[in-house]
Amino acid sequence: SGAAWARGLLSWARPERWLASGSLFPLSCIHTSTSLQKIGKWEKKNRIVYPPQLPGEPRRPAEIYHCRREIKYSKDKMWYLAKLIKGMSIDQALAQLEFSDKKGAKVIKEVLLEAQEMAVRKHNVEFKSNLHIAESQTGRGRYVKRLRCHGKGMFGMMKISRCHYFVKLVEGPPPPPEPPKTGFEQAKEYVQQLRNRTLVHTL
Amino acid sequence: MAAAMAAGLRLSGPRLCWKAAEALLRPGASCVVVPVRSRRKTPRVPEWARELSAEERERRLKCSEPIFPDERIERSFFLACTAEIMDPYVPPEGDARLSSLSKDGVKQQMQKLRQTAASQLALRKIKDHDPDFSIKTFPEKAQEIFIEAHNSLANFNKQKLHSLVTERCYPELVRGNRFRTIRWRFLGSLQPPRVVQLRCDSVLNRGNLYGQVTVRLHSRQILAIYDRFGRLMCGGEEVPRDVLEYVVFERYLVNPFGTWRMHGKIVPEWAPPREPIVKTVMIPAPAPDPSQEHENVK
Repeated sequence: SGAAWARGLLSWARPERWLASGSLFPLSCIHTSTSLQKIGKWEKKNRIVYPPQLPGEPRRPAEIYHCRREIKYSKDKMWYLAKLIKGMSIDQALAQLEFSDKKGAKVIKEVLLEAQEMAVRKHNVEFKSNLHIAESQTGRGRYVKRLRCHGKGMFGMMKISRCHYFVKLVEGPPPPPEPPKTGFEQAKEYVQQLRNRTLVHTL
Repeated sequence: MAAAMAAGLRLSGPRLCWKAAEALLRPGASCVVVPVRSRRKTPRVPEWARELSAEERERRLKCSEPIFPDERIERSFFLACTAEIMDPYVPPEGDARLSSLSKDGVKQQMQKLRQTAASQLALRKIKDHDPDFSIKTFPEKAQEIFIEAHNSLANFNKQKLHSLVTERCYPELVRGNRFRTIRWRFLGSLQPPRVVQLRCDSVLNRGNLYGQVTVRLHSRQILAIYDRFGRLMCGGEEVPRDVLEYVVFERYLVNPFGTWRMHGKIVPEWAPPREPIVKTVMIPAPAPDPSQEHENVK
């Protein structure tokens, strides 16, 4: 069976099969790689490796970075959804996005599900519900200018906007929301400011 | 297929000389096709040549044709290892479990090297190509290669690992470990390593010999694997374990610069189950049949 494997391997390397299409020297089909495309900074954040933890240290929570590029949606409209799910647990975020009417909600939901799948398979996350959204951002994609024809031979230039969406999932329950500042606290701060005043250039 | 190709050539594309088309039609042709731009559909045959037979005509045309050297698109590659373990060794059950004092244990110890004809033949063939090979000295060298390979895996020294481990074994060692930290230590061997089986076989062509040697290693090791965030995935740094392994080493005998490299491991069926990882894994239940649900409701 070793011979069969080697024979199968060599079957593609026969030159007469390449010349059979009638083209001259198809050398361009030998090397194919995606290394020429630029890898974004957000994707590279998944590659950092931390040194092993000592037994006494608290367990470091896992962080998973995921993004989707060139979504056909406006970045300002996407921002509302990103702001909505910031700080929620992943189950709550998925529920909110499922019943949102916006177009970007479907895309963000797919991104979150992909990120959850990645976390469980590759990044050693134990429970897929034990994740919360630490950061969720939108960014501007490549805009394309096009002609928009109006009546009477008039035209305007419109821009077709695209956006990127970035999300960072962290293992653990979501952090408790900050309580709003009460009037009493504001008053205390004011009084403290008044007390901090000193007289300068005096005895 | 050749006829269809010729028909296609005639219908479209640059006009090709009929002799070039004929050359292509001939089976096994590998010469370069140079398109000739001319409006003439049939080549001009001079009057004195019309009486000649078809073969004469072809012969003269071939002589007058310009000769281009055949440029082959060659990309040669070099098979430095086989794809599998030839005739895998079946370790006897209860190996390393019986103490050397009982009768069965003594019998096992006495089986130094299986005196099978295949092993002896393989040994002779290996000694033909590699006169320094000896069953007495090889196990220590094999153990050294084993330790070096695992150390360079722990340090992610790819160049050294490629020189110590065959191409078939390399992905098995390295897969999934790109973002993990591995800590491995060899504490010592409990029993001296010994050669258990020898096999020698040729792949693809006769005389293309690869030799495989199975070595039995019983040793004490420490292994700890940490994931990307430095959390322990499996194993332990302070826990030494007794490990019984049957490691296969391979060498490309015909290559004068070939070296013995680790090719794979043989895991017997009676081996103790592996310790579970420090993680809860969900196994999804099979999808319920709609007919089954109906029955439950009733």
